[in-house]
Amino acid sequence: MKKNNIEGWLFVSPLVIWISLIILVPIYIAFELSLFNVKIIGTSGKFVGIDNYIKLFGKSKFVNASLNSFYWIIGNAICQTFFAFTIALTINYKFPGKKIMANWIILSFIIPTVVVVVIWKLMLSSSSGVINSVLIDIGLLDEATGFFSSPNKAFISLVLINSWRWSPFLALIILSGLNSINREMYDASKVDGANFVQQFLFITFPNLKSVLFVLGLVGTLLSFNIFDIIWLITKGGPSSATTTLPLLIYETAFTKFRISQAATLSIVTSFLLLLFSIIFIKSMAPKEDD
Amino acid sequence: MIKENNIKLILLSLSLLLIILIFFFPFFWIITSSFKSPEEIIATSTTIIPRSFTLEHYNKILFNSDFFIYLKNSLIVSFSSMIISIILSVSAAYGLHKLKFYGNKFVEYSLLVTYAFPGVILLVPIYLLFAKVNLLNSYFALIVVNVLFATPFAVWMLKAFFKLIPNEIEEAAYIDGASRYIVISRIIVPLAAPGIASVAIFCFIISWTEYLFASILISGDDLKTLPVGLAGIVGQYQIDWGFLLSGAVLASLPVILLFVFIGKYFVSGLTEGAVK
Repeated sequence: MKKNNIEGWLFVSPLVIWISLIILVPIYIAFELSLFNVKIIGTSGKFVGIDNYIKLFGKSKFVNASLNSFYWIIGNAICQTFFAFTIALTINYKFPGKKIMANWIILSFIIPTVVVVVIWKLMLSSSSGVINSVLIDIGLLDEATGFFSSPNKAFISLVLINSWRWSPFLALIILSGLNSINREMYDASKVDGANFVQQFLFITFPNLKSVLFVLGLVGTLLSFNIFDIIWLITKGGPSSATTTLPLLIYETAFTKFRISQAATLSIVTSFLLLLFSIIFIKSMAPKEDD
Repeated sequence: MIKENNIKLILLSLSLLLIILIFFFPFFWIITSSFKSPEEIIATSTTIIPRSFTLEHYNKILFNSDFFIYLKNSLIVSFSSMIISIILSVSAAYGLHKLKFYGNKFVEYSLLVTYAFPGVILLVPIYLLFAKVNLLNSYFALIVVNVLFATPFAVWMLKAFFKLIPNEIEEAAYIDGASRYIVISRIIVPLAAPGIASVAIFCFIISWTEYLFASILISGDDLKTLPVGLAGIVGQYQIDWGFLLSGAVLASLPVILLFVFIGKYFVSGLTEGAVK
């Protein structure tokens, strides 16, 4: 194919420059800071070399937050895959009201996260929450429980709330993949006697490869980045059980005022995510056939 | 065969019920609750049908709070971010779609990674950068960040919409002597209008809902956005639920209204083109 080097770059460069400036310059500043010992923003500290990095790996807080982030990504991946596929496969069928549902299912994604927090804080409230009173009414609970009071309960509740926000959006993207699958394949498999479970496993799933690639990559990174839902509900508690790496960075910088440490954390985390992305793209990228 | 259809029907009804309960009921709940009396909101026994009706919470938030200041700030920031995002991403998406150039795959994948990459990792560095160049406490700081978050996915979506436009139309225009600029402004943009509309909504939503950077980069009360203003109430020790709920409903209203008018483009845009 003919290459259009100059014109091509002319079209993409405004955006590329905007993005690179806003990512690379700050990362350079952060890297510089990570080599010093600065506490409050604006003050100066002495040069400590890679000391911050060495100390970081010995900190139990860092290890704890990394583990939490790992569980967070896995938990969200499982829940969101389940919800998103349920929604996508359901909407893919014909039923009365399908159009309205397909349009409005994404409501949880378009409202501000703060509103998501308000909704679930009210619904899950231990004193007056509707979930508690329904669970008691149907006999699943003896008395009202605090959904954010113990480490495990808080973690699971947050995973569910975050999945509630994101699954419909992911479902629509899966739906786009479903729409691109050739209908005839299903008809042919029916003739061969395949049931709908087999159809899902051998036609639907394999044909969603490129969609699942994007979702796997973007979804993982997006889950990792979640901050506001956790921060506004539990502040990382109880006893740091919901402190993921983003919360640790925020806390270190803006409540503990250890800017150099926070910068070090940011650099290490960026590096880890970049590594993950490169490995993921190199090993999973579907072959382009257009 | 009949048996399989029955199982399908039961499964479909079950999942429909589940979806309605999980994804729609919460909205019914906060909207009705925002009209309930304060006593009913915090009552331990709850009924699905509201027992009281009051406008006092809305009265309070509309006429006795900074709601309109926050609303104005959110609108300014979101609209500016949306317009800049659209201009930058239409241009980039066209370049990536039509013009094969050295490094285009690299740009494409980098965009995909940056879509998810920034977030909190950039929080401290960006804060430091903006402190250095005196951008803290300005609309522009938020716009810069929102564009960064919105454009990568916007490009990804736009590219898919551009692919749906038959190549022949464009080539015919070139044969008639049209320039690249004319082709883009008279052919590509109008033909991709539904797609561009849905991408625009996406950009608007991203900016409208952004909380983290808005809470850190803005400290002046007069420049705070709606999510930050609302979060201030969430964080209080004694939550005034009625006040908070009516605020939540009002803060969601603009995106929902926008969605009523152009939402179907957004959804069909996502489902028809997003990942082709």
